[in-house]
Amino acid sequence: MNPNNSNGTPAANGKYILQADKLNVHYGNFHAVRDVSINFERNKITALIGPSGCGKSTVLRSLNRMNDLVDTARIDGHVRFYGKNLYDPDVDAAEVRRRIGMVFQKPNPFPKSIYDNIAWGVRVNGVRSNMDDIVEQALRGAALWDEVKDKLKQSGLSLSGGQQQRLCIARAIAIRPDIILMDEPASALDPIATLRIEELMTELVKDYTIVIVTHNMQQAARVSDYTAFFSVTPDRTGYLEEFGQTNQIFTSPQSQITEDYITGRFG
Amino acid sequence: MASQGLDGGRPLNEVFTGRATRSLRRARIVDRFATGLMWAAALMLVAVLFAVIASLLIAGIPAFSPEFLFTPGTFTNPGIGPQIWCTFYVLFLTLLIVVPIGTGAAVYMSEYARPGKLTNIIRFSTESLASVPSIVYGVFGSIVFLVMMGLGYSILSGSLTLALLNLPLMVRVAEDAIRSVPGSYREASLALAGSKWETTRKVVLPAALPGLLTAIVLTAGRIIGETAPLILTMGTTISPNAYYSLNPLSTGETLAVHIWVIKIIGLPGVPNSQAAADGSAAVLLLMVLVINIFVAYFNTRLERRLRGAAPPPRAGGSKKVGT
Repeated sequence: MNPNNSNGTPAANGKYILQADKLNVHYGNFHAVRDVSINFERNKITALIGPSGCGKSTVLRSLNRMNDLVDTARIDGHVRFYGKNLYDPDVDAAEVRRRIGMVFQKPNPFPKSIYDNIAWGVRVNGVRSNMDDIVEQALRGAALWDEVKDKLKQSGLSLSGGQQQRLCIARAIAIRPDIILMDEPASALDPIATLRIEELMTELVKDYTIVIVTHNMQQAARVSDYTAFFSVTPDRTGYLEEFGQTNQIFTSPQSQITEDYITGRFG
Repeated sequence: MASQGLDGGRPLNEVFTGRATRSLRRARIVDRFATGLMWAAALMLVAVLFAVIASLLIAGIPAFSPEFLFTPGTFTNPGIGPQIWCTFYVLFLTLLIVVPIGTGAAVYMSEYARPGKLTNIIRFSTESLASVPSIVYGVFGSIVFLVMMGLGYSILSGSLTLALLNLPLMVRVAEDAIRSVPGSYREASLALAGSKWETTRKVVLPAALPGLLTAIVLTAGRIIGETAPLILTMGTTISPNAYYSLNPLSTGETLAVHIWVIKIIGLPGVPNSQAAADGSAAVLLLMVLVINIFVAYFNTRLERRLRGAAPPPRAGGSKKVGT
């Protein structure tokens, strides 16, 4: 194993697949996130909640190096995936994202056919054979196969919003990641489509580890095993206020701020 | 009484007639007037376009005949076959240079260049080049391509000059097209472990294709219509041995230049050279129209294939959508 992770973190015990350790994010001079440490357990859903501007999406995007795309972003601290720090100089960002996929707030299928939307990422990762099977498996995995099996050549953008989001989930699982990050995946969807995404998540978590950012506290309470509550300092720096099992956070929060937030007194 | 003010403490109006107040009526009149003005402006545009097309076709089509369209001009026949050929040839050669270089520069500017001094210099240069008069490019081309490179008056000199002239336009319009591809496509591709180049080539450029075709059409229109720089670099006659030749080193004459020559010098021996000019103008117009209609048709089909029945996504939309 990597010598860098011999500093007491439980890398080898296998319970925690991903560990943020004293994560700090700056955008230029702006300190966006301060000292966030969270252990993400394998095959569990961890929800990141908190008021707007608390840095929960920033933290999520730091977990698969999507913040690399922001020129001014600077990340300090460690994010360990199987014990290996994702920000080590010898780590390739594309390889990180192959193992840690992402689903975005607004459904963003490519302007390509349903089939090609899924095949694209698979081909990029060097797989060219059995594509029909891979596409079918991915669409079944995202509970979309029955709705689209007769129109795989149609544009992904011709689907409804909820179907588009499930197509994006299918696209993400087609390349067999270990972790799926979801950035408010249902916030642009109606309640029925939202429910289907939530049902899908509870299916997917049997094979994947899921980290979800959500504004919707009922959603966090319904689907997640663990909840991380973020808050924000007066100078707008986000930090982790409380982390724990979801039912503990929602029934007996340790922090007054958490309690005020989940009971609707602010935010 | 009822329409005196909107203060909070007033009594209920109690009467509702449904009639608009005076200020509402006035607003409605202004509204109609403004709508009428906009409508008239738009109508004028269409009318001008229609008038141009109709008058040129009415004047030009009587000159059409197989001899006129497909044979070289002689002392008795004002044929423009070689000019039509030369126009397509110059168009092809110029686009062959402009499209790859222009698209490449546009990709660099929109996808790779970081904001900074160098990028600003490149952008400023492009903007400046776009506003240099075409005759200046003609003079430049005659110095560099004709004299320094020794290409002489030739189709190649003319095409190279037109390529320089049109690169700024191509870069600018192509850059706009690439920039208008939603950032969410790039994010999606990178999140699937796509590299920057794979993202650019297989996601961004295909999505920008309709806009890139528009850039090519705009450029093509300018190439077909250009005269001054071609007169200085390609000459004003078809080389006697090159009526339908592929030799890029022969002299040439596009339709636009041909019209200019007829109007200024006339066609020796041909009694009614005005008719030949009108006919040439009609052909030129039809060429531009056909290219435009063809690309518009192709673009519509392409958009439908890329996006399905749904309208194109709008950036930043948070509309609620169902299953």
